[in-house]
Amino acid sequence: MPLLIVENLSTSFHTRNGVVRAVQDVSFQLERGETLGIVGESGSGKSVTCYSIMGLVPQPPGRIEGGRALFGDVDLLACSHRQLNRIRGRRISMIFQDAMTSLNPFLRIGEQLIEPLMIHENIARAAAMDRALAMLNEAGIPEAEHRLKMYPHEFSGGMRQRVMIAMALITKPDILIADEPTTALDVTVQAQILELIRKMQNELGMAVILVSHDLGVVSGFCNRVMVMYAGRVMESAQIDDLFYDTKHPYTRGLQKSIPALQMKGEELHTIPGQPPDPHRLPPGCPFAPRCGHAVEYCAKEEIRLLEVAPNHRTSCLRVQKENLPV
Amino acid sequence: MIDTATSPGPEPVEHEAGSSFWQDARHRLWMNKLAVFGLAVVSILGVLCFVSYLCPHLTGYTYEQQNLALGPTPPNHAHWLGTDPLGRDLLARLLYGGGISLMVGLYATGVSLAIGVIYGAIAGFAGGKADMVMMRIIDILYALPFVIFVILIMVFFGQSIKLMFIAIGAVEWLTMARIVRGQVMAIKRQEFVEAAHALGLKRRRIIFRHIVPNLLGPIIVYATLTMPEVILLESFLSFLGLGVQPPHSSWGVLIKEGAEVMEEYPWLLIYPGAVMALTLFSLNFLGDGLRDALDVRGSKD
Amino acid sequence: MSSAEKFLEIHNVKTHFPVEKGFLFRRRLGAVKAVDGVTLTLRQGEILGLVGESGCGKSTLGRTILQLIRPTEGTVSLEGQSLTALRGASLRRARSAFQTVFQDPYASLNPRMTVFDALAEAMRAHVRVPRQELPGRIAALLQKVGLSPQAQRRYPHEFSGGQRQRIAIARALAVEPKLLVADEPVSALDVSIQAQIINLLARLCREMGLTLLFISHDLSVVKHIADRIAVMYLGRIVEIGPAADVIEKPLHPYTKALISAVPIPDPRREAKRARILLPGDPPSPLNPPGGCPFHPRCLYAIERCAQVVPVLEPFGQTERQASCIRMREINAE
Repeated sequence: MPLLIVENLSTSFHTRNGVVRAVQDVSFQLERGETLGIVGESGSGKSVTCYSIMGLVPQPPGRIEGGRALFGDVDLLACSHRQLNRIRGRRISMIFQDAMTSLNPFLRIGEQLIEPLMIHENIARAAAMDRALAMLNEAGIPEAEHRLKMYPHEFSGGMRQRVMIAMALITKPDILIADEPTTALDVTVQAQILELIRKMQNELGMAVILVSHDLGVVSGFCNRVMVMYAGRVMESAQIDDLFYDTKHPYTRGLQKSIPALQMKGEELHTIPGQPPDPHRLPPGCPFAPRCGHAVEYCAKEEIRLLEVAPNHRTSCLRVQKENLPV
Repeated sequence: MIDTATSPGPEPVEHEAGSSFWQDARHRLWMNKLAVFGLAVVSILGVLCFVSYLCPHLTGYTYEQQNLALGPTPPNHAHWLGTDPLGRDLLARLLYGGGISLMVGLYATGVSLAIGVIYGAIAGFAGGKADMVMMRIIDILYALPFVIFVILIMVFFGQSIKLMFIAIGAVEWLTMARIVRGQVMAIKRQEFVEAAHALGLKRRRIIFRHIVPNLLGPIIVYATLTMPEVILLESFLSFLGLGVQPPHSSWGVLIKEGAEVMEEYPWLLIYPGAVMALTLFSLNFLGDGLRDALDVRGSKD
Repeated sequence: MSSAEKFLEIHNVKTHFPVEKGFLFRRRLGAVKAVDGVTLTLRQGEILGLVGESGCGKSTLGRTILQLIRPTEGTVSLEGQSLTALRGASLRRARSAFQTVFQDPYASLNPRMTVFDALAEAMRAHVRVPRQELPGRIAALLQKVGLSPQAQRRYPHEFSGGQRQRIAIARALAVEPKLLVADEPVSALDVSIQAQIINLLARLCREMGLTLLFISHDLSVVKHIADRIAVMYLGRIVEIGPAADVIEKPLHPYTKALISAVPIPDPRREAKRARILLPGDPPSPLNPPGGCPFHPRCLYAIERCAQVVPVLEPFGQTERQASCIRMREINAE
C-alpha cells in the first residue's frame, strides 16, 4: 500500500492578469522508503505540486481545482485544518531552498529545533533539547551544544541547511519533501547535504520527494523520477528507464542540453524557443511548439499520462499512439 | 545542432508592444479605486478653489463681504453653508480659504522639494564622509522644535503668506532630503548603473539618464504625501494666530473661528473640518496609490 | 611572445577590502582578501573559464580586471597598455576595449529604457554614430544575438531571462570590445536556455575574434566553452590548464574534490563514482588559514602544508600548473 497517493491534482492561481494553471492533472504514488525526484524548469509546477500537498498554497489567489492526495486514509486536500496540522511537520516534513528565509532570524536555533517536538509530542522541554542536540550531532554540525544557543545568521549556508534538515527530521516523519534543497549551495556543500539526506533516510526508513531542476542531482539520488513541464507531468519512470529508455522528447531534450562534465563535443544541443507563458498555455501538448517531433494532432489533442511500459508513464501523444522512438 | 532561436519564440505579451514604465504605472493607478477617488476629489476641489480665487463673486458673495445685520445663520437657500457671526458667507470663505491652504501646500512642498532633493542628491552621490556629515546635520536639525522655529521666523520677519511658505518648506525638507539620499544610494547600487559605468558612459549621462529617472517615482510619491502635512501645519499656525490673518481665510482660520463658537453655531466648524479632512484623506489615498503604482520591481513574474 | 600571446596580463593582483570599526576615526581590524595574488595571461581569442565556489574571489577578480574595483596591488594590462594606471577620462575611454555581461538579467538592464535606447546609448558611448544609421545597426546587432529587430521598441520587462541576457550581450558587443568578461552569465537561467546562451557566446567569440573570460561556479558549463580552465580557491588560482585536462585529470586536491562533487546526469556512472567528500565549509576570506589555504580540508595534507604557501608550478613539461607542494606525488602515474 503506497504511503502517498496523489491523483489528478490541479492547482490554479487566479491573478489580475488571468488564471495561471500552475499544476494540471498530476498523479503519482510514493512507496515507503522510496525516493521520488520531481524534475522541471521554472514554471513547471514542481514546487507548487508539493506546496499543494502540504496545504501551503495561499488560497486566494491560489485554488486547488481538483484531485486527491491520500496519506493513509486522509485526503490532505480535503481534510480539516486540525488534521492537516497533525500531519504537517510530524509525519510529512518539508525543507526549502533558501534556509536563511526559512529560519526565524529572531529565535535561537535550539528554540526552533524543539518547536516541532513541543507542538506535536507531549514532551518536556529539557527532553526536547536533548533530542535537538542529538539531532544536530546526527546532522554533522560541530560543537552542537554551543550552536544550540546561536542565531541563524551566525551559520553558513551549508550549516543552515543542515539545521533545516535537523528540524524537519526531528519528529521522524514518514515523508520528507525537499524543495531544491541544494540549489543555493556550492557544489561541494551540495554533495555533503545530499549525503546527509541519504544517510538520514536510511536510518529512519523514510520516503523522500526531491524537487530539483538538476537532472544530475536527481540521477544520483532517486529511485523514480517525474519530469514536469508547464504544470503537467511529461514522463514518470524508474531512474534507469528514464535515462536509458526515454519516452518523451522533453526529457530527451533536457538530457541533451544539460552541459555535463562527461559530455564531449563543442556545441550544446538546445531546446529552441522558451517555456510557455503560464497565462497563455497553448492547446494540446504544452511542449509541442518547441518539440522537434511534433505533428498536427500534438497541438490539438489533450494529453494524458499513460503507462506505455511496465512502471513507465508518458504523456507524449506520439509515443502513445505510434510508439515513436525518442 | 546550431542555436535556432533566431526568433524569440512565442512572444511574451503581444498586445502590449512597448508598454513603458509610466504607461504601466498610469494603468495601475487607474485600477486603484481609492487613489482615483482621491485624485478626483483633489482635482475638483482644486479647480473650484482656483476659480473662486480668480472670481471672488462666484458664490454671489466674496469671502470678506460682511452682512452684520444678518449675523450667523445655518445653511439655507441663500447661503448654502450658512454664515458666520459677521454675516460672511461660509461657502465663499471655504473656497477662498481652500485656495490659500492648497496654495500653501503646493508652494511649501515645492520649497521643501527644491532644498531636499538637491541636498539629498548631493549627499547620496558624494557618499563617504561628506554624506555622513550632511546626514548628521539633518539629524541635529530634526531635534530642533520646529514649531518654535517657525514661530520665531514669523515673529522676526513679519507675517506674510509668502514667508509662511518658506518657513514651512524650510522645515519639511529634512524628510525629503533623507528619502532622496536613500533612493540615490539604492539606485547607485543597482546593477544597471554599474553596467552603464562599465560601458564607459560619461558620469553626467549616468546621472541624468539612469539615476534621475528612477528618482522621480519616489519623489512624486513623497511630494504628494508631504502636501497634507503642510496643509495641516498651515492650519495649525493659523489656528495659533500666526499664519493667515483675517480678513483672509484659510482652513486653519475657519477652523479656529469655528471652534470658538462651535457650541452655538456648529456648522461653522463642521463644514471646514469635513472639507479639510476629506482633502487630506484624498491626498493620502492618492499618494499611496502613486506609491503602489510607481514602486514596481520590473519583472512581470 | 607577441602581443597576441600576452593579450590580457594580470600580474600579482590583490584586491583587499579593509574591515574597519569606529565612527569618525576608523580602526582597521583586518581585511577581506578577496583576491590574494593572481597572475594570469590570456592569449588573444582564447576563452578562459574561471571556476570556483562562493567566496573564492572569482567575481571580485572579474570586477578588478574591468577596473570596476581598483586592485590594492598588482597590475592589469590589455595589449600591453596598463589599465590600472589609467584614471578618470582616459579610463572611461579605454572601456571601449573591454566589456562585461552580468549575472542577473533582471537587474542589469535599466527598466525605463527601451532596447533601442539601451543599445543606441552603448553604440554612441565612444563613437559618433549618425542618427539615421542607428536603427539599421541596432537591428543587425539584435539579429546577431538571435533576437528579432521588433525587440527594439520594447522594454526589458517584456522579455524572458534568456532574452534579456541576449540584450545584455548585444549591449556589450555594441561597443565593439576586444575582451569580454562574462560573470556567471547563465547561472540565473533555466537549464534549457543556458545551452542557447552558451552556444551564442561561443559562436560570437569565434566570429568576432573576441577574448572571453567566462566566470562560473558551474564546471560543466565552463567545460563546453573554455579552451583553458583556471580554478580559484580563497583568492588564489590553485590550478590552470587546458579544459579537458583539468576536468579529466585534475592535479590539485581541491579540483579533484570539486569535480567529484559535480553530479552526473547518468545514473549508472553516478552510482559507480568514487566520491571525495570535503569536510567542513568553504572558508571565509576574512580569516584565511596559514600556509596553503586549502590544507584544513585537504585529504592529502601533511604538516608542511600548514607552513608553506604554495605557488603555481608547472606540471612536468605541460602547460598545466597547480599550486600544491605534493602535486607530483599525488599525481604520479
